[in-house]
Amino acid sequence: MESSVQSELQVPESARRSSNGDRGDRLMAIRQEMEYLNTIGKRFVAALDRIQVHRALLAALQELYSFSACCILLRGDPFELFIIPCYPLDAAFLESMFQRIASAANALNFPNIAAEQLARTAYYDAPDELAQLRSQRDTTGTEIGSCLNIPLTVENRIIGMLSLFDERPGTFDTNLLQLTTMIADYAAVALENVRLRERENALWRQAEMERIRLELIISSMAEGLLITDARGAISSLNTSAEQLLTKAQIDLQPDVPLRKLAETSHVHWLTKLAETIGLALSGKTVKNQEIVAGADGETVPLTLNISAAPIHDASGTSTRPIGVVAVLNDVTSNKQVERLKDEFVSVVSHELRTPLTAIKGYTQHLVRRIERRLRKARATPQENNPANADLPESYDLRSLNIIQSQTEHLERLVNDLLDLSQVQWGQLSLNYEPFYLADLLAENVRSVQASAEQHTIYLDIQVQDTKVVADRVRIGQVVGNILDNAIKYSPHGGQVIVNLQMQGEDYLVSISDQGVGVSPEHYDHIFERFYRVHNTASHQYSGIGLGLYVAKAIIDRHGGRIWFTNNQNTGSTFHFTLPSTPGE
Amino acid sequence: MSPNYDNSSSVSREQVTEAYLKAIRLIDERVAPYLGKATTRALVQGAARRVRDQYPFLGCLVYRPYTDIHPSFIREHVSGVTSTELAAGLDALLDECFAGLRELTGDLIVPPLHDEVTHQLRQLQ
Repeated sequence: MESSVQSELQVPESARRSSNGDRGDRLMAIRQEMEYLNTIGKRFVAALDRIQVHRALLAALQELYSFSACCILLRGDPFELFIIPCYPLDAAFLESMFQRIASAANALNFPNIAAEQLARTAYYDAPDELAQLRSQRDTTGTEIGSCLNIPLTVENRIIGMLSLFDERPGTFDTNLLQLTTMIADYAAVALENVRLRERENALWRQAEMERIRLELIISSMAEGLLITDARGAISSLNTSAEQLLTKAQIDLQPDVPLRKLAETSHVHWLTKLAETIGLALSGKTVKNQEIVAGADGETVPLTLNISAAPIHDASGTSTRPIGVVAVLNDVTSNKQVERLKDEFVSVVSHELRTPLTAIKGYTQHLVRRIERRLRKARATPQENNPANADLPESYDLRSLNIIQSQTEHLERLVNDLLDLSQVQWGQLSLNYEPFYLADLLAENVRSVQASAEQHTIYLDIQVQDTKVVADRVRIGQVVGNILDNAIKYSPHGGQVIVNLQMQGEDYLVSISDQGVGVSPEHYDHIFERFYRVHNTASHQYSGIGLGLYVAKAIIDRHGGRIWFTNNQNTGSTFHFTLPSTPGE
Repeated sequence: MSPNYDNSSSVSREQVTEAYLKAIRLIDERVAPYLGKATTRALVQGAARRVRDQYPFLGCLVYRPYTDIHPSFIREHVSGVTSTELAAGLDALLDECFAGLRELTGDLIVPPLHDEVTHQLRQLQ
């Protein structure tokens, strides 16, 4: 092969056209050359890894030259050098090879490659035949006689360098240079393909590992997770979801949308689940939807908390979701705990009420006794009792009034706790009776004013007839709670104005204070149970965060509305409306 | 190889650059069939890296392919450099290119090409 290619390349083109015989020779040579290139091309195409590329390269080059070693230096960080010896290499020869490779790499502007570094990191890919050769002949000489370095190029990008070495001088010649470069190009493309294949495999392995990891996480989740297709049919679900659905006796059928399944199922809450999935399929994200999945008679039925979100196509070409991912959380145990807590609070409140009633009763008794004594003392002529104005009973009466007021406050707190469970389980009962709202407001103002010396509470009644049919005690509780807050959140005193006016057919009660007001972050939560405003110097404000929650429940049950507004400069105003007669 | 440009001559920096660019293009033309189109570009960049300590104004060629060089680029990057200095720098660059080519192919390509390039540069003088 070597001689034929070499001789053809040396013949000038004009000479080749001189005769028919020459033309025939030329065609024969071209045919041979094409066959040769076809053969080596096939070898490179069939090479699936680096070693196979090295073998193909060595075979192709050995048909052109007889040489000592061939090396492949690949650019990259770090670079890679592969040494493929044709027969055993002498150490000095090898060292010279490293020097020559480093110089050539430097000439081609490869970044910082030193001979020592090459020697340290080189891979040796010696063919198996080398072992036999080693026994037959000695190693190479110590000096390099010929050297050829050819850039490995892929699409005009130099990816590395092919180096050929021989101990004899004049091994490589110009006429075979083009053919050698062609082989180097084949090798470059094959090596690039191997690199891309390795990268693809690495990425695939990484993706597979990630998939397995994700699958493990999902399967070990305590929450149920289910994924539907675009029609709403469950396409996959984890073990927890499977257990939950089995617990609820749902017979899952593949490829059947949940909506259709709900139509024929006796499981009542499946319709709600299908609705939630439907909402997510329309592009909406549903958060913490509570579904009671248990039977009606159960004390604490199986309760599920469902969140669902649409899954969109990663390409972003379609706005329509391709499915839904839903998380099902069994919150039954939370509900059980909540129930136990409410029962506990209810029991404790009941227990607190008994001594409280006694304290209240005896305080009232003492107040009346002292009032009687005072009346008697004041009836005595001044000259017989010069210290009439500073009687100790006057101080006692003031102290008892404070005790009485605080007891009423405590009673309200206990009542709030008692009401909590009633509100929580929808058992808040109302006792409607006719009464005058103005009188009720006046009573509350008087009671609160007794223990609020720093504050001045004004009552502003702008309605002639204040008769209303409502639960007197409950409405008193609402007013008391709002007034308590007005005092509590005005630590520096000031005015509190209780205003009563009409708003359409309803009474409108507004209680304004000059206190700390409500920060915007609390607007949405202030009527939630146990919610307390933790803003400015919050530690000095006592309370359990139930007053407004219970107040809202009472007003809602009366068919009214409760809300608040922040005053322009200071404080806030709480408003509630109350229909003059109970609605349907 | 230097065609003896000096300050007294009326040769501009652009003319000097153009002469050497023509020389590099000739190298490229001869080398490409043997070693591929990307080789001369890499050789020039490698050569620029080696001479930039001595001729800092050629440092820009380390990262920029010589095919992108045009007169406005010369005005921007070699202002303050005389034609003589520029010629000396480009001459050193050309020598390094040949040295690099010799590292790759020994004497297979370099001797006739070196003669041809020297001849062309002399003609342009």
